[in-house]
Amino acid sequence: MDAHVAHTAVEAVKAVGDSGTKLQDLAWAVLFFPLVCALGTLLFARKDRMLAVGFNIGGVVLSFLLSFVLFAVYGGQRIDCTPFQWLPLEGLNATMGLHLDGLTTVMLLVVTGVASLVMIFSTGYMKDDPGYCRFFMTLSLFVFSMLGIVLADNLVMLFVFWELVGVSSYLLIGFWHEKPSAGDACKKAFLTNRIGDFGFMLGILLVWAACGTVNIGGIELAIAKDPHVLGATASLAGLLIFMGAMGKSAQFPLHIWLPDAMEGPTPVSALIHAATMVAAGVYMLCRLFVLYTVPAAWPASLDFLGGLNAATVISWIGGFTALLAALIAIQQNDIKRILAYSTLSQLGYMVMAVGLGAGLATPNPSAGMYHLVTHAAFKALLFLGAGAVIHACHHEQDIWKMGGLREKMPWTFATFGVGTLALVGCPLFAGFYSKDAIFATALESNPVLFGLAVAIACMTTFYMCRLVIVTFFGSARTESADHAHEVAGSMKWPLVALAVPSLMIAWLPLGDFLAGHFDAHYHSHGGDVLFGPFNHNALAAFFGLFAFMLGVSAAFAVYWGRSKDPLPAKLGQLSRAMRNKFYFDEIYEAIVVPVHDAAAAVADWLDRWVIGGLGVRGVTGVADFAGRALRLVQTGSIQTYTFLFAAGVVVVALLALK
Amino acid sequence: MITSLLLTPLITALLVLCIPGTLRVPIRLVAVLGAALTAWKALWLFVATEPGMAGLQHEQLVPWAAVANFSIAYHVGVDGINIGLIFAAAFVGFAAVCVSWDIERQTKLYYVLLLTIIAGAIGAFASLDLFFFYFFNELALVPTFIMIGVWGRGAEKTQAAFKITLYLTLGAMLALGGLIALYVQSGAGSLDVVELQKHLAAHPLPRATQLWLFPLLLIGFGTLVGLFPFHSWAPEGYAAAPTATAMMHAGILKKAGLYALIRVVWPFLPDGVAAWLPLLLLLSLGNLIYCGFVAMRQKDLNLLLGNSSLAHMGFAFLGLASLTTIGLSGAVLVMVAHAFLAALGFALSGFLFARTGTLEMARFGGLLQRLPFIGAMMIACFMAGCGLPGFANFAGEVAVLFGAWKSTGAHLQWMVVAAAWGGLIIGAVYMLRAIRQVLHGKLSPEWKQLDEFRTAEELPAGEVEGHEASTAGTTLTWVLHSALGGTLWSYWRRMPYALLLILLIIFGFAPSILSTRIEPAVKEIVKAATHTSAQPAAPTPAAVAAH
Repeated sequence: MDAHVAHTAVEAVKAVGDSGTKLQDLAWAVLFFPLVCALGTLLFARKDRMLAVGFNIGGVVLSFLLSFVLFAVYGGQRIDCTPFQWLPLEGLNATMGLHLDGLTTVMLLVVTGVASLVMIFSTGYMKDDPGYCRFFMTLSLFVFSMLGIVLADNLVMLFVFWELVGVSSYLLIGFWHEKPSAGDACKKAFLTNRIGDFGFMLGILLVWAACGTVNIGGIELAIAKDPHVLGATASLAGLLIFMGAMGKSAQFPLHIWLPDAMEGPTPVSALIHAATMVAAGVYMLCRLFVLYTVPAAWPASLDFLGGLNAATVISWIGGFTALLAALIAIQQNDIKRILAYSTLSQLGYMVMAVGLGAGLATPNPSAGMYHLVTHAAFKALLFLGAGAVIHACHHEQDIWKMGGLREKMPWTFATFGVGTLALVGCPLFAGFYSKDAIFATALESNPVLFGLAVAIACMTTFYMCRLVIVTFFGSARTESADHAHEVAGSMKWPLVALAVPSLMIAWLPLGDFLAGHFDAHYHSHGGDVLFGPFNHNALAAFFGLFAFMLGVSAAFAVYWGRSKDPLPAKLGQLSRAMRNKFYFDEIYEAIVVPVHDAAAAVADWLDRWVIGGLGVRGVTGVADFAGRALRLVQTGSIQTYTFLFAAGVVVVALLALK
Repeated sequence: MITSLLLTPLITALLVLCIPGTLRVPIRLVAVLGAALTAWKALWLFVATEPGMAGLQHEQLVPWAAVANFSIAYHVGVDGINIGLIFAAAFVGFAAVCVSWDIERQTKLYYVLLLTIIAGAIGAFASLDLFFFYFFNELALVPTFIMIGVWGRGAEKTQAAFKITLYLTLGAMLALGGLIALYVQSGAGSLDVVELQKHLAAHPLPRATQLWLFPLLLIGFGTLVGLFPFHSWAPEGYAAAPTATAMMHAGILKKAGLYALIRVVWPFLPDGVAAWLPLLLLLSLGNLIYCGFVAMRQKDLNLLLGNSSLAHMGFAFLGLASLTTIGLSGAVLVMVAHAFLAALGFALSGFLFARTGTLEMARFGGLLQRLPFIGAMMIACFMAGCGLPGFANFAGEVAVLFGAWKSTGAHLQWMVVAAAWGGLIIGAVYMLRAIRQVLHGKLSPEWKQLDEFRTAEELPAGEVEGHEASTAGTTLTWVLHSALGGTLWSYWRRMPYALLLILLIIFGFAPSILSTRIEPAVKEIVKAATHTSAQPAAPTPAAVAAH
């Protein structure tokens, strides 16, 4: 651990030292291209579809190309770009500065890459929508905010863009604002995120008060110098910061917004609620990982928590979220909701992996980050595939009303298949390798969570195969499914483009690259990348393989050739609970909302009747009395006024001369 | 420079007075041009105020009345604390004049009063003599009472006008009593802030005097700001006020109380501040949380905005209470940012009221479909209202949170927790509910015909008042309208809203424009305000070691 931190510190200093070269300032262009394009659309292309598409796709693709340049030039180097002043106050030097390293450049490529493909897909998907230009503009705004999170070199800037991502997500979930359900969903998403941000802000304050800086490099330095610098608040600060991730990455108990967020257009779900925004929490945990490597410490009032580590709590919350979501996903029938719960479950995986990574002999969260990258590719692919299916079936989303789409939409089927195989962890596909990294981490760090992770992997395979079997195999069960056609090229090619990394990204030494970022002394396990898992930790790899095979066989046994879900009858009450998301929405609505509303009602009553009522009556009374008293002197005669005026002057003069 | 800025709206008001009341369009044009010139001069003054410099700039001192050792002088000047407010006063004033284009009744009087308010506000912030500060503040306040009475809206406008007048007059009287007492007790023989500062630095007031003087001034000035529990005038007053008055009052005039607290009370009464801090914290908690909860319950958009603006003032009070440079700078930033925010909010609700005749949120729904521009503005404004980064409010609020967190005061960190809860969550709850109720969802059939900026029908509905009187005005507007062309005309009608939002965004993206000017000035204030006479006799480490 010390070695890692010391290395971080040395690199941070070095990076500040050689900031003479200015090529890294290209990162500013990466960040601002999408914003400029969004503004251009707002000002010049609110009606012109071609121009709007050109602006926004152009901007994001340019960002992607520049990110690639940055990646090619700097690779894993740690470099700071020239910052500019944002809120320079003594003691709080909140700048806007960008930081580049292996982690950020990989994330830049993920965000801009997926965003470009999603935007191209949207040109077809949103073709008939009257809000076409607004859609692209808001997407660009989102990309800008997301890139800000990725590049931010300090906590205040991170928080700024954190919130901006929240609002772009709000605007996109509520894109069809005339739908009441969309209006409710975007409100819910924003408010839930805000609860997380509340904790995040307090966590930032704690860290700042302890380290004296909000700069992430500075915090790393301070902790490297003295791991106890956070004092008694170390674990609390870690957990409060994690609350931010809990909101964005939809971890229990703030997970309730993500499924509802599917009210937004499907490309939005693919980009924001699968690949990027929801992964921001995991990314942030990796970026601030140093906070989770410090020894546990609690303030006196929380002493009973003793040696409980923030990272341990995080790993359990992640594991629980993953389990919960996987269980719910098994009994959902809406194609987008199944994918949404699968996203939740995978996010739980990543969060768990980051938490477990802190418990390794050499703390390293790279397994979670690795899964984030592969997941971005295959989950965006799955969502876009689902979008193509929904588009082809005239906005039908119930998988039991589809069926037999394999022959009618061969391209969609093939790419969706690749995405599914990647997600369920079929060997050779990307998900197998990143999941294996998580298994290996868990096995080393916490065997109980390892068991849980394997069980969840099994469920994942089960519900994803259920989805594919019911949607694409068998025969069409409704007319709209019968009339489905393969989608147009603008929607087909992005699917193909995403299928490539879903299959092959793990063939690159990406996992080693990320692991090396967090641990300078990391050594690859040698051998061929494709067989890496078995060289690394054969037990974990075999369990992954076993979970995959078990899930596939179970799904085929239960669903092959069925036109109705047999599980509700078998599971009874449990199935209903799963279908109703274990009633979390209902529980919250019964507790959280009434508490706030009751407080508001009391305050309003007080305001109306006590402060407003009595207060005003009291003041009125005084004024009335004063009026009567004054009427005595208000005689209307000039002499009286002159006298009073003179008396006043005398009083003032006397007081002055005293 | 400042004097010419101050005189511009006054001279414009005089010019307007000379135009016959029936010629509404010339009246409007002159008023708009005058307000624009004021804004231009304020911008110039802002740019000419050097950032990073402590002390007053562009100072001007004209002795005015001196009796024995009692003197009043016209003394104006700017530093970081007031330059932002003067700038805001001029720009919000300009926007307020522009959105008032549709005023048909007693147009002349309306504009004269509005321009007087602008002049009074600028004068109050620029004055460094307490007599003139008070005079200008009253000059701005009195017309607001008249405007609510004459052009107010709603059934309870008389009641509201009565209430706001009563509260603010009583508050101002308390403050006046406090100021006179301060003058007398200081023995400086001057009402000049600079002189008083010098004098009090050398001869601080006795602690006992400060202790009774402080609450007098705090409650007096606090009432002007809407400090809990002296706040109930604000929401009702704003709901009843005509749009421009609500904009000016909520945006600008309210800040005069806070400004006086920063400029006078904090540096002059350090012992008082230290002793009464717990009370102030308790009261600002009332603003932050209690007013937020009250806002959650409101069914009327204007009452919601009024309560939310009180909640924002809680941040300013918390920043003041932090007694740190970061916190106080944040408080000043909040004051400036909130000026644009409140003005924009009331301008938009005023637009809605003018078009629909109601502000009852339950009756709306889906309005974004009919009002794309105003609706988008509203979403932006409400988002800014719940502290979204990118808008100026966030910069101020976050600085307040950081400042208060670092403060040595007792319980300040719990206050920060409460403020963060109030700002991030309660604020978001009522703002998002309002968006959901008013703008999102199904469009009710009642508003199917609602239009944003009608190009042809934009002509004033002169028939209501008296046909003959308005013909000239109608014709002229028509001429203007055709000269500008429909599109340009609708751009012009959108301009004031866009202007306020752009200012919010500029200061949100680059708060350093303000903060580099604010910080040096605030540092002096903090130095004076923390220089208490009764330093707690804490044993120094050396003394402890000796024992």
